[in-house]
Amino acid sequence: MADAVDARGLVRTFDDGTGVRGVDIRVAPGEIHALVGLNGAGKSTLMRLLLGMLKPDRGTVAIAGRSLEGADWTTVGHLVDYPLAYGELTCRQNLALGARLHGVAPAAIEGIVDAAIEELHLGQYAGRRAGKLSLGNKQRLGLASALQHSPRFIVLDEPTNTLDPAGVILLREALLRRSDTGAGVFVSSHHLDEVARVADRISVLNAGRIIGTLDPHGIDIERSFFELVHSDDVTA
Amino acid sequence: MITGLVTEFTKLAHATVVRVTSVLIVLGISLICSSMLFAVHTDDPQLAAKLGPLIDPGGWAGYFAVAVQVTGAAGLVGYGVVLSWLFSREFADGTIAGLFAIPVSRRTLAAAKLVVYLTWGAVTAAALLLALILLGLAAGLGPIPADVVPWMGRQFALSLFSIVIATPAAWAATVGRSVLAGIATAIVILVTSQVSVLTGAGGWYPFATPALWAIHSDMAVTPLQLSLIAPVVAAAVALTLQSWKNLQLDR
Repeated sequence: MADAVDARGLVRTFDDGTGVRGVDIRVAPGEIHALVGLNGAGKSTLMRLLLGMLKPDRGTVAIAGRSLEGADWTTVGHLVDYPLAYGELTCRQNLALGARLHGVAPAAIEGIVDAAIEELHLGQYAGRRAGKLSLGNKQRLGLASALQHSPRFIVLDEPTNTLDPAGVILLREALLRRSDTGAGVFVSSHHLDEVARVADRISVLNAGRIIGTLDPHGIDIERSFFELVHSDDVTA
Repeated sequence: MITGLVTEFTKLAHATVVRVTSVLIVLGISLICSSMLFAVHTDDPQLAAKLGPLIDPGGWAGYFAVAVQVTGAAGLVGYGVVLSWLFSREFADGTIAGLFAIPVSRRTLAAAKLVVYLTWGAVTAAALLLALILLGLAAGLGPIPADVVPWMGRQFALSLFSIVIATPAAWAATVGRSVLAGIATAIVILVTSQVSVLTGAGGWYPFATPALWAIHSDMAVTPLQLSLIAPVVAAAVALTLQSWKNLQLDR
C-alpha cells in the first residue's frame, strides 16, 4: 500500500529567509507522525506544501502514490491555520458544508455530521452559530470538519492550540481511532503535547530542515528535543 | 459545480452583510426616490424649487428619472460591497485554507460565488423595481402610464448592468485579499465613469455606458458602445477565476 504521503526534497523559501530547505517526509498508512519544532521552524510551510497550498521551488509530493494534481482529495482531511467555520452558520450547518466540500454524498451528510458532533462533544453547541463559539470550541468544530469524512490522510497544524485538556484528549482518541483503521496522520506542534506523545514517530524540524527524530516512548523527550535543536543551532 | 453553488448559497443566505446591503439597496434607493416626491410637494417653496428640477418632468417619468440616477451610483457601490465581501471574506476569516485540498476546485468555488452573486443581484434588482412601483403608488402618482414602462425597463436594466460592471471588484478583492480593495475598485469605477461622462468620452467607457444609456434617453449610446461591456466583464471574470486557480497561501 502506498504511503499516505511521500514528500521528497521539498524546498520553498521566502524573502525573509524562512521556509523549508530540502525536507523528506513520509507518513505510512496507520501511522501517526508528529512534527515538532519551535515557532518559525517551517512546520506550517511544510504542511501547506503537502496540501498544495504552496508550490515548492523544488521537490515532489505524492498522496497515496499520486501527485497533487491527480490526488483523490476526498480522502484527505486537514486543519491548517484556521478552522473551516463560517461565523454566520451554526455548528451543524458548518459541518454539513464541510462534509459536502469533502465529497460526502448528500444522503450521508446528516449521519456523518451527527457522528462528528458526538465524537467531539459538540452536542450543546450544535445549533449555535460558529461566530458565538469560544476559540476552543471553534477549534473542536474545525477538527470535527477535518475528520468527519473518514479521511485516509490527515494533516493537522498545531491542533491542540486553544483546546482545553478535555478537547486534547478527545482529539488524541479520535486520531488513535483513525490510525487504527489505517489512516495516516501528520500532526505538528511547537511543543511535545499530548498528541505528539501518542505518535509512532516524531520528526524534529529546525530552520527548515529535518534535524532528527525522537523516540516517542523515550524518557525525558523534551530534553532530547531541546538538545537536538540547540546542537543544530550551534552547528549552523 | 452543484456543491459549490450549494455551499455559496448557504453562506450568502445567512450572511448579515448581504441582508443589510439588500435592504439598503432595495429600501434605501426606493426611499430616497420616493422621499423626493414628498419633498417637492411640500409647502416649503424653497425646497420644492430646489428638488423640482431633479424629478423633471414630474409624475412617474420624473420619479423613474431620479431612480435611474440614484441606482447608477448607489447600486454600483452596493453590489460592489457584496461582491468584494464574498471573495475577500475567505481571507479575512481564515477559511481560505479549508478551501484547499478538497475535491471541489477553487476555480469552481469562485465561479459559484459569481453565479450566486448574479442571482442575488437579479433578485435584488427585481425587488428594487417592485419597491419603487409600490412607493410610487403610495405617494399618489396614480396609474402607471404606458410611456413610463420603458423607463421602468431602463431602471431594471441599469441595475443588471451595475451588477455585472462591478465584477472587477471580485478580482481586486482576491488579489488584494481585502474587502477594502474590492470596494475601492467599485468606487474607482464609479468616479472614473463620472469623469468620463464629464469629459465627453463616457460613451466609449464601458463602465459609464449603462448609466448614460439609462439616464439620457435622448442621448445616442450605440449598441456597439454598450457591447463593449461584455469583453470587460469577461476579462474581469476570467482574471478572477484564474487568480483563484493559481492561489497560494504565501502571505
